[in-house]
Amino acid sequence: MTDRERDVLLEQVLSAHREPHARLRIRSHPAWHDLPDSDRERAFEAALALRTLEAALDPGGLSTAARAVLARIGPDRASASE
Amino acid sequence: MSDSAPDELDAIAKGDSAAFARWLAGRELRLRASLRSFAHSVDTEAIVQEALLRVWQLAPKVTRDGRSEPLLRLAIRVARNLAIDATRRSSQPQPEWVEAPFEPAPRPPDPWLRRRIAECLGALPKRPRKALESRLASAGERRDQDLAEATGMRLNTFLQNVGRARRLLAACLERAGIDLARELT
Repeated sequence: MTDRERDVLLEQVLSAHREPHARLRIRSHPAWHDLPDSDRERAFEAALALRTLEAALDPGGLSTAARAVLARIGPDRASASE
Repeated sequence: MSDSAPDELDAIAKGDSAAFARWLAGRELRLRASLRSFAHSVDTEAIVQEALLRVWQLAPKVTRDGRSEPLLRLAIRVARNLAIDATRRSSQPQPEWVEAPFEPAPRPPDPWLRRRIAECLGALPKRPRKALESRLASAGERRDQDLAEATGMRLNTFLQNVGRARRLLAACLERAGIDLARELT
């Protein structure tokens, strides 16, 4: 795997987009499984820094992941991830 | 904001999603950091989001024991159990659980920091900026494939531009004396 291919996988993993697969269940990103083991810690640290930046940029202090969760819970508790 | 105010917890328990959003600000990063020892064995992004969905559902049942941040403590426990289950299913060795230092006082949003980041974002070259801004605006709702099409880029080009934007942004912030790791604490 080339460095460019690894970087493309890393950028996919850094997205906050994750598919739900049942009520209250979230699927792993397919690219995460293809990420070499040596890059997984790098992905974790990069995600932590990126979510920090996103939360700092948002007036409400919410990262894209937090906003994704809020979109899933909907207007009331019963509608979570349906 | 030094801790979850009782009113905030009551509102969350009653299903107030705006109160949950206020609670989430700051706590998500602490929850995420608690999963560091699972970085090799699970997709921690999926674990964080699933744990937060479950915390929202479990909030009405949370009892207060006098300790600070009962919801954050629950979130960390739920996330840890989800990570252990996912590791078991993948047949990977269980990592040693490393208890993250518990810092219960999230900081309020910092307008100065927000301005500096916005300035660095605004200074990015056009295509990396367009790619990163589409990611930010989507807030995890849309797939990269859809974002790439909407921005007129091929998927690989879109991802390379997001990566370039991220690196340029980090360099710009570093020049401004901002250490994102320090912003976590």
